[in-house]
Amino acid sequence: MKTTYAALVVGAGVAGIRAALDLAETGQKVALVDRKPHLGGLLTQLDYQFPTNACGMCKMLPLTERDSSSQFCMRKGLFHKNIDMFLSTELTGLDGDPGQFTAFLRQGSSFVDPTKCIGCGACSAVCPVRVPSEFNAGLTERAAVHLPVPHNIPNSYVVDLDHCIRCWRCHETCPTEAIDFQFNRRATFHTLLASAEPGLAESAAEWIKDLLFPFAAETAPEAALEQIAQDEHLAMLLLDLDLPGLEPERFLARALELKPELVVVLLAGPQHAELAGKLKAAGARLVLDKPLKPKAAVPVLDKTFLRAASEKRLELSVAAVVLATGFDTYTPCPESFGADTLGYKVLPGVVTSVEFERMLSGSGPGRDRLTRPGDGKPVRRVAWLQCVGSRDLGKGVGYCSSICCMISIKEALLARQMLKDENGEPAAATIFSMDMRTFGRDYQRYRDSAEEEAGVRFVKSRIHTAMPSPDDPGALRLRYMDESGELKEEDTDLLVLAVGARPPKDLPALARAAQVELNEHGFLRTRHFDPSRTTRLGVFAAGSAGAPRDIAESLIAAGAAAMEASRLINIYAPLKEKVAEPEPEYRDVGREAPKVLVALCTSCPVLESAVDMEALIARLQSQPAVIAVARIDAGCTAPGWEKIAELAREKRPNRILLGACMPYAYVPKLRELGAALGLNPAFMDVADVYTPAMTAAREENPDRTALGREVFATLNMALARLVRADTLRQRSAAPVYRQALVVGGGLAGMTAAVGIADHGYPVTIVESEEALGGAAMRLRTTLEGRDPQRYMADLVEQVEKHPNITVRTDSRVVLSMGKAGAFSTVVYGRDGVATLEHGTTILATGGREAKVYDYGFRVHPATLTQVELEQRLASGELDAGALGSVAMIQCWRSREEGRNYCSRICCAGALKNLHTLLRKNPGIKVFVFYRDIMSYGFMEQFYTEARRLGAIFIRYDLENRPQVAFDNGKPRITARDPVLGEDIQISPDILVLSTGVEPNDVEELAEQFGVPLTEDGFYREAEPKWRPVDFLKYGVFMAGLARAPGNMGEHVASAKAAAERALRILSGERLDAGNVVAEVRHSLCSLCGRCIDVCPYGARRMDLDEDRIEVDAILCQGCGSCTAVCPNSAAVLKGFDDAQVMGSIDAALEELA
Amino acid sequence: MRTESNHPTTLVPPLHGEGRGPHAVDPLDEVRDLVRACMQCGTCTASCPNAASMDLTPRQMWRSLLFGFTDEVLRSKTFWMCSACYTCTLRCPRGLQLTRAMAALKRLAAQHGPGAARRKGIFYQAFIDNVHKYGRVQEMDLMFHYFMAMRDPLLPLRFTPVGMKLLAKGKLHAPDGRHKGVLDDLFTRVRELEGNP
Repeated sequence: MKTTYAALVVGAGVAGIRAALDLAETGQKVALVDRKPHLGGLLTQLDYQFPTNACGMCKMLPLTERDSSSQFCMRKGLFHKNIDMFLSTELTGLDGDPGQFTAFLRQGSSFVDPTKCIGCGACSAVCPVRVPSEFNAGLTERAAVHLPVPHNIPNSYVVDLDHCIRCWRCHETCPTEAIDFQFNRRATFHTLLASAEPGLAESAAEWIKDLLFPFAAETAPEAALEQIAQDEHLAMLLLDLDLPGLEPERFLARALELKPELVVVLLAGPQHAELAGKLKAAGARLVLDKPLKPKAAVPVLDKTFLRAASEKRLELSVAAVVLATGFDTYTPCPESFGADTLGYKVLPGVVTSVEFERMLSGSGPGRDRLTRPGDGKPVRRVAWLQCVGSRDLGKGVGYCSSICCMISIKEALLARQMLKDENGEPAAATIFSMDMRTFGRDYQRYRDSAEEEAGVRFVKSRIHTAMPSPDDPGALRLRYMDESGELKEEDTDLLVLAVGARPPKDLPALARAAQVELNEHGFLRTRHFDPSRTTRLGVFAAGSAGAPRDIAESLIAAGAAAMEASRLINIYAPLKEKVAEPEPEYRDVGREAPKVLVALCTSCPVLESAVDMEALIARLQSQPAVIAVARIDAGCTAPGWEKIAELAREKRPNRILLGACMPYAYVPKLRELGAALGLNPAFMDVADVYTPAMTAAREENPDRTALGREVFATLNMALARLVRADTLRQRSAAPVYRQALVVGGGLAGMTAAVGIADHGYPVTIVESEEALGGAAMRLRTTLEGRDPQRYMADLVEQVEKHPNITVRTDSRVVLSMGKAGAFSTVVYGRDGVATLEHGTTILATGGREAKVYDYGFRVHPATLTQVELEQRLASGELDAGALGSVAMIQCWRSREEGRNYCSRICCAGALKNLHTLLRKNPGIKVFVFYRDIMSYGFMEQFYTEARRLGAIFIRYDLENRPQVAFDNGKPRITARDPVLGEDIQISPDILVLSTGVEPNDVEELAEQFGVPLTEDGFYREAEPKWRPVDFLKYGVFMAGLARAPGNMGEHVASAKAAAERALRILSGERLDAGNVVAEVRHSLCSLCGRCIDVCPYGARRMDLDEDRIEVDAILCQGCGSCTAVCPNSAAVLKGFDDAQVMGSIDAALEELA
Repeated sequence: MRTESNHPTTLVPPLHGEGRGPHAVDPLDEVRDLVRACMQCGTCTASCPNAASMDLTPRQMWRSLLFGFTDEVLRSKTFWMCSACYTCTLRCPRGLQLTRAMAALKRLAAQHGPGAARRKGIFYQAFIDNVHKYGRVQEMDLMFHYFMAMRDPLLPLRFTPVGMKLLAKGKLHAPDGRHKGVLDDLFTRVRELEGNP
């Protein structure tokens, strides 16, 4: 059976979720698959993210039409009405052309029916297996049947078949018979042995008898094929490769042609190893080594049966595929002790950064693990070692993982916060690194404050040895050489290895299935100027699929991939032609008296044993609005749910209250029920009665009376709120002008404009210069040797010829008003004044190479900036052959106060230029003065190459910066070489300054659109991690260099991500607000404006014409801050108004008896 | 001179200064090629069991080499202290053949180095000649030839304590000629491989 989706997203980590949500929010149906049995990828294990040192994943949730998606902690789970999730699922093939792919998926089974599992944990308790827990990075153990992520909601156990010993105890123990090992299918799992080996048939029949599979044997290939053709139940073939007369490849092909689902097990001697590999690629499932050993073979055959019998094959018809495959973290190999002297898995105090995060985590093995693993004494000193498994050619990793430096700074800050002794003195935190790569926009300040304010120590060194301390057996002795060359020793309690990113283990298989290429580092090969494009049209790379990225950049890459997918979908399966799903019709209950159906879930025995149910039910029934109270067995399972629906159809209540556990899990079900009954889900609620009961169950002598009161109060409060629910209110919706305005006609602006315009919406580009192009037009080449000029020329042409794009050059914005969906902007320019009505705005105002003002440098012709050098080398104005020596100074006037950010592109620029110079004239002496070389990601290989070519890199710090003087116009640089500890002097022919970039001056524009800037003049995003291209003001988005420094590919990605966000607004005729939004009672309002200050979403503003406070219902997320701060009760939150809140409090105080 | 910060060393152009006369062809270029990709992380130095007895740390030596301080490198005793344990090579994150570079420096110093460096090479030569001749080390004969080559009458006195120990273990005796010549083939092959048969 084939199901149709607009897009398939492979990988349900944050990038996959972002891409899926982006598409789902624009109304596309998305299939989201992950090979793991849970969502969230690596981030399920990491609780804190830099630079906020908190989580904040929930900020990715949709801001509008909130009711179509879950609105709770995303680390616990996610649902969206347009997203179907397939877990434990792998992509096995992708046929067809872009826009009309057929994706083949194999969905593995967890062997536990999630609709029956009540999460009681009885199975896990009886399981005799103990293996290291993946969730806790091996710090704790788990059973074979386990919860992959303990805090997921809803959550059900899964069986890890690889470690299962097939004792079936979990199956026998499960109270709801949720665990299914397919016992009844064994009798129809016919097995055929094709072998001529004497005696094998008899012995095999003997073993297979235990497995209860009907068994037959053949001794000739033709007879075996005949059997395959005839026996309709034949499911497994044991094929002996020594079978006389066998043509293995043809035989296999024929067998699979007859029965595509046939499980082929090869029996191969060592001489057949190569052939077996080939046959496995051709569809054989498993290879067993001959001679067969029953002890090993029987469990393997049984597990093969279990997998084959429980897995599902799915076929999806999709227009586009997004691969968000993420990365694995490097595991320092414990066997390599000796070669790798850091002692991981040998010395107890050496941990990886992932393990350290688990130690810090509230859901980890417990904070008490933050004692020294060796002797349990408190941890007072923690050291981090960077570049473990990154930038290490010895281990075959030529790239920088880009993220570990920031992760270590974050961990050091957390350690300083969390590890305090009895006097409140924080633990010492030291980071050992070669370069600290803080190349993100605000990351340099984060590092500086870690050093200056939080007291984290940074040491420029690579630790090479850790050993037990001779003075203190529980501590580690680190030996390292500081920069002056002095050998130092110091003790630490914990050594955290900042492990790098590796391509996922199974990426090669996935790449084969999706028919895309990998690059030399093992990640997906992507296009240089377009990192979301893979080598196959229609298959896009999101997140870290193409290179290791941090969260913000992963989400930008996800947005860009979603935009590309959306563009393709729009061509092949345009949304506009689809029949809109009918909005469920709800009956009007405004004039009815409240009639409440109360259903109590009794699936877990704890509630009944802890509470007097009869008394509770009687008391609830006595409440005037309640028409019926029912007990439901297992409300969280399908049969239980059906019973509730049946009751509701019978009693026709206009409110439904469910007493159960985990209210979040019920949100989608309530919506389904609402549609089925014609009752608005706003009139349904779930009260958590199990948390108090479970807590009480763990106590020795629970107070039954108090518990009964608590459970009743919980239900009664929810009841009070439901009874007083506002039945008259209509959800507000705002119409949308389906046009976009892009300010800035550079690389990012044009890319965003084309992205939106390709979806059929008109776009206007306003550019202040006379021609399109912006700063990128000055570039002549890239580090990888591509041609930016041609790319830009193509893009300009595309924009100018695009029927949906209007370009206004030599123009600027003079005034803008309005909100998401309805902006009105006045543009003044060569063509006079024009007023534009548009639903969304993208600000891509760009930036420029920063100017050099010092020492009158500009008067010396021997001084250039990196871009000037690039241009002169390209034009031939500067002849590399005539140069004897060149000096470059990095971080010129940046990464220090004044312009305290890394411009990110200058190290690449310097590497690019010195490659050009040295390729043209290998005799040139090139000296690069640097602070930290920011050759992040795959750029690292160019840094290695630059050193190989003979460039000399000399590190400096702010206390010892290179001094520049001029002798008759010739620069003379004096600097200290930290390695030799000696001053050196260079008189190069030219001096090149890496001056970095700065944003264009946009203060006025920011004022007009009501958006904030950072202290450096870049646009400030709503949230640095989770909403990287959004402004807090909804409907306005940012892209390109004005957002943050970056290279061309990165700007293209941010532009596409911004376009995708903008498309979300343009994709509908109107924007719908949520059910819970704030309103203002103007008669009570004294216009004090406090609510405006506290609103975290910028949803409130003072309307000076009308003299009143206005709430933008689209922006309001229903947090209630305004109602709390309002001195006059003029701010009200619908769904939580005074009557409901007071009623709830009264209800809480009512007595049970 | 190294610590005098008010007398900066001028690197380019041209390389000059005390003892840094420009070489037409720098004999150390082949070693330089081995370590060009060095990023001065210092893992080699910190790993080196003999670093304490070196005048330049290995990291400083690679750095000086890359800066073009040929004479300074040849004068240093760093590479003579290398015992070829290969720890640095094993640990170098850039995968550089550092032990090979050390060995090359020994060889080149013996050819091009100052007198003192050449004298250091004498022991190596005496040792390898001894092994070649007898098939294994004959301590008595080795030291005899070494002392003769060094032409320093006081030198044997410095070795007296070691000599006493060797004597106690019965190591000082007339050369044992039983394995004479067994390594001839090996040495011939090595000379062939090195391209000077």
